[in-house]
Amino acid sequence: MSEEATSLPAGQRQTLRRSLLPGLAALACALVLPQFANAYVLEVATTALLYVVLCLGLNIVVGYAGLLDLGYAAFFAVGAYTTGILTAEFGFNFWLSIPVSMVAACVAGIIIGAPTLRLRSDYLAIVTLGFGEIVRIIARNLDITGGASGLVGIERPEVFGFKLMQVQHFYYAFLVLALLTIFVCLSVERSRMGRAWFYVRYDEDAAAGIGINRVSAKLQAYMMGAVIASVAGCLYAAKMTAISPESFTFNQSLLILLGVVLGGMGRIPGVVLGAILVALLPEVLRGAGTYRPLVTAVALLAIMLFRPNGLWPDKRV
Amino acid sequence: MVASFKRLACATALAGLVMTTMANAADIKIGIVAPMTGQLASEGQDMENAVKMAIDAANAKGGVNGDKIATITADDACDPQQAVTAGSKLVSEGVTAIVGGYCSGAVLPTLKIYGDAGVPFVIIGANSTKLVAANQGNAFLANSTGDMQATTAVELFKKNGYKKIAVIDEGDAYSSDLAKLTAEAFKNAGGEIAARETTTAGEQDYSAVVTKVKSSGADAVFWTAYHAGGALLTKQLRQAGFQGGIVLGDGNNSPEYLEIAGSAGEGVYLLSPPTVDLLSGAADFKAKYKAAYGRDAGAYAALSHDVGDLIVDAMARAKSADQKAIVAALKASDFKGLAGEIKFTDKNTLQTSNFHPVVAKGGKWVAAE
Repeated sequence: MSEEATSLPAGQRQTLRRSLLPGLAALACALVLPQFANAYVLEVATTALLYVVLCLGLNIVVGYAGLLDLGYAAFFAVGAYTTGILTAEFGFNFWLSIPVSMVAACVAGIIIGAPTLRLRSDYLAIVTLGFGEIVRIIARNLDITGGASGLVGIERPEVFGFKLMQVQHFYYAFLVLALLTIFVCLSVERSRMGRAWFYVRYDEDAAAGIGINRVSAKLQAYMMGAVIASVAGCLYAAKMTAISPESFTFNQSLLILLGVVLGGMGRIPGVVLGAILVALLPEVLRGAGTYRPLVTAVALLAIMLFRPNGLWPDKRV
Repeated sequence: MVASFKRLACATALAGLVMTTMANAADIKIGIVAPMTGQLASEGQDMENAVKMAIDAANAKGGVNGDKIATITADDACDPQQAVTAGSKLVSEGVTAIVGGYCSGAVLPTLKIYGDAGVPFVIIGANSTKLVAANQGNAFLANSTGDMQATTAVELFKKNGYKKIAVIDEGDAYSSDLAKLTAEAFKNAGGEIAARETTTAGEQDYSAVVTKVKSSGADAVFWTAYHAGGALLTKQLRQAGFQGGIVLGDGNNSPEYLEIAGSAGEGVYLLSPPTVDLLSGAADFKAKYKAAYGRDAGAYAALSHDVGDLIVDAMARAKSADQKAIVAALKASDFKGLAGEIKFTDKNTLQTSNFHPVVAKGGKWVAAE
């Protein structure tokens, strides 16, 4: 790690140091929030953190590797349903269900990714869109996934004998997950793999020309995104205690993608900001009543109009 | 440019804040949770209006136990995630009780929130049987559950002499529950299920389903989902020359069904919750509703109004705004409203089914003989 850090160009090292302070300030705010907020604010903040994790995961696929994925909610569903089925139907411990979910997401990622990642952007988008719908429809029709009503009575996780019950417990759980995800993203962004993704995103042929195996680079990005979404899904299932296919629609995939694009593809603070906005905007506008979707849409359009590269874009673009 | 954008953003955010804080500072707050946006916004609006009417009437008589009642509406958009935030918003605002809930999938994850907070919750529309199992004792189903509707459906099929039925749902919790239960009940009663199909919400073209229904030789189609899809399916079935009967689940009970289906809707049966038009004592309510909101009262208006009255009645009998006392009072309810009798079983479901078949005649729903 230290070797990696010192090998950074001076400019980047400076950026890193400059973003450290605001980052720590934001973290401090996030840590003390439950002291001041009521259950509703915490519920919304937890949703925002869930979207931070999901958007960061999708950012690896879309932002770093440049693969347009329209079915990302499928991996979220794989995680949620794996935890749901294992804990509610087979009495597994919640924590044991996480590695199983990660493996399941990896397998799903390979099944869908290996044959399709040879495709270029538009075709890949169509295949992933189909994949997202397939997963949702399978979940809706199998008995083991509870059919259309979904699963109820999902086990609440325990940490050293302490059971996560209240919304603030889940808030902290999601905060830890979000921090872990940010850490993972920061590390891979500056790794050999991250640079390979960056080249693939710019020019696949040139990347292949300098010796990058473009299919395996893309597959790695796809699987890493899948694993992050599945872990988010595990925690989501535990928090909701009841999951149904309605949570994993095409709209959900779009919303996650919206967070990535809105914030600024490929840039971690941008994506975090975008994710928070996607979760917050509908809640802030609750007072607008039935005009809520309209006002949300206008606000989003305005952002895209004035900040076409996202609110906090990647300067390398 | 950037400055003007910032101003716009601030203005929008402020407008939102001002509107949220407008909820009045009365003594007792009742939360209404319903789909105010999205495909089912029309039903949600009806629920809100009708509950408010009941509360306003109670306030005009001096409120309950000397306190005025205010309502707070929270939009769940029939989405599980939004329902959870809407629900916890109501709980955080300190509501005494909550009424509403249309989509079972969205109501299910909220039961825990209301249960943990001990808030009395009367569910108006949602009626999946899974709600009964997930109930922590504070929730009450004011609508008949799906199995009760299945019984009414099978009775109608037998009366009309249908022998082979095609059952079609939209794949969500509510409609597939109803489809499954009805198919089982009809098979047990000696009937045959000719086809069992699932469509996608928001679909426009039902030709694949229509073809399957026609080739299956079904005497009748039973559509268990909502009016938007039901109206299109009816139209396309009739356009394709399907002559058999069409029976609709209670999710189709909306004036919009007849508007969209037009002449194709003629002769279609509907398993209706007590609709305003068909209730003898509801003419006065109907006129008042139209005068107050400038639109006809929809399917769940009468039941929503009853639930509004029921919660006021329960608070009066509890003689306090104590939530445990209200839950106990609700359990002991013996209430006669516009839509019929509300008495709860020990599982907090209705004792008697409130479904009854109606038929479309001359662009209107009338009671089926």
